[in-house]
Amino acid sequence: MILLQSPSKYLLQILTTRLENLDKGVELDSYWIEFNDVRYHVQASMKNPNLLFLSVSLPPPPPETVSFGGLPPGAIEAIKAAYGVVAQILDPPRDGFSLTLKLNLSKLPPDEEHKHGVLTKIASVREVVLGAPLRVFLKQLASRTVASDIDKVVALVHRPMESFFLIPQVEKVTVVFPMRFKDSIDILLATSFLKEFVDARRTAGLNNAPPCSWSPSPPPELKGAPPEALSSNAGFVSFVIFPRHVEGRKLDRTVWSLSTFHAYVSYHVKCSEGFMHTRMRRRVESLIQALDGAKPDYEKAVKATQNRSFKRLSLKDGRSSLKSFS
Amino acid sequence: MAANMLRLYLTCIRNTLEAAMCLQNFPCQEVERHNKPEVELKTSPELLLNSVVICRNEAEKCLIETSINSLRISLKVKQADELENILTKKFLRFLSMRAEAFQVLRRKPVQGYDISFLITNYHCEEMQKQRLIDFIVQFMEDIDKEISELKLSVNTRGRLVATEFLKQFI
Repeated sequence: MILLQSPSKYLLQILTTRLENLDKGVELDSYWIEFNDVRYHVQASMKNPNLLFLSVSLPPPPPETVSFGGLPPGAIEAIKAAYGVVAQILDPPRDGFSLTLKLNLSKLPPDEEHKHGVLTKIASVREVVLGAPLRVFLKQLASRTVASDIDKVVALVHRPMESFFLIPQVEKVTVVFPMRFKDSIDILLATSFLKEFVDARRTAGLNNAPPCSWSPSPPPELKGAPPEALSSNAGFVSFVIFPRHVEGRKLDRTVWSLSTFHAYVSYHVKCSEGFMHTRMRRRVESLIQALDGAKPDYEKAVKATQNRSFKRLSLKDGRSSLKSFS
Repeated sequence: MAANMLRLYLTCIRNTLEAAMCLQNFPCQEVERHNKPEVELKTSPELLLNSVVICRNEAEKCLIETSINSLRISLKVKQADELENILTKKFLRFLSMRAEAFQVLRRKPVQGYDISFLITNYHCEEMQKQRLIDFIVQFMEDIDKEISELKLSVNTRGRLVATEFLKQFI
């Protein structure tokens, strides 16, 4: 899996299983965490098998971002627009969570395709809620309406206590990510990956992709941003989003890709390290085999195991066990 | 041309090792009933041979120190950029931690080098000299190959990751 998928697989599985077994409704109380510290809680009881309570907790926002009562701006409208009558927002949310939805499975559309579509949308609650402010700006870009924050630097949360930046304009929106990693190897691998983004954009087939640049220091567009938010050890990546990237169906995908950009790079850095470990282990094994080949007993031992003959004990074996004491 | 230079470098090391790997058992002169690799102690100059440094260029070299019962080979591997630097360090540390499995590998490299071997007379008794030398030379080639393959895999993956991401916007 190269790209990160928007619907949470686990949540989608819970929902579809629940729907298939409505008559056998069991008690459900499940709690799990996904990348970037997004926590979920699902609760359902046997008394009302059609009702499901879904709670989501979002990563804590850094001080430079705006939030309304624990939720990003535009989240409530986005939820109402995406889920309609199927989901009802409970106020206040469950203790420890930013949002609790009461899902009514009986209000799902009757035909299978639409039903699955709505369930998938519910499983993408993370994209709907966290991506809401970004979606607002990009929708304004698509309709080329003038945004209220035009030419100002807007900070949006994407990771615990970390934000990325938007500079909305009429014709385009510039998105800048300060990239931070904890481990020094991660930093180097990420920097080499990020430079590939710039190179890849120049290839012929990707002319219509958003122009992308990388710089080790904050780009000039971020002049208005608070300095604490501008620290980074793997540079700054900027994407310029044009209306053609957000028209129609592309809007949701663009919102998801940009919201999870840092997680995407981080995921592939880790995969790369895992792959390197596997390679190194394999190389070690082949080298040890080569060394074993240097021992004259090796061939005899190999032949012995093949012929299933008995190994003759000699003084040499006695001496080798003595050596381990010296 | 580069392959030729590598061949010359490795051949020189191989010839030096063939001359240096004439080890015999030698109980410690200073402490009774002890038997130590003299190349590590370096206390008795009469037991040590002149050490040899074989340089491929400023960045790559090989130090061969010999004594009567032991031989130490230290390698400095080329590291062209930051990424190669960290890949080399990671890989050689990975190998050094498994020194016990390798028997002839030293747990810590000699100061100023990236990885070191310690071969004692006992190793020469257990293993054939020619094969042991083949192993050392093979090891050096494998390190070079592995580092460049790791670097290539990082660049390839980076390109793929970037392309897949950008394709979503088209």
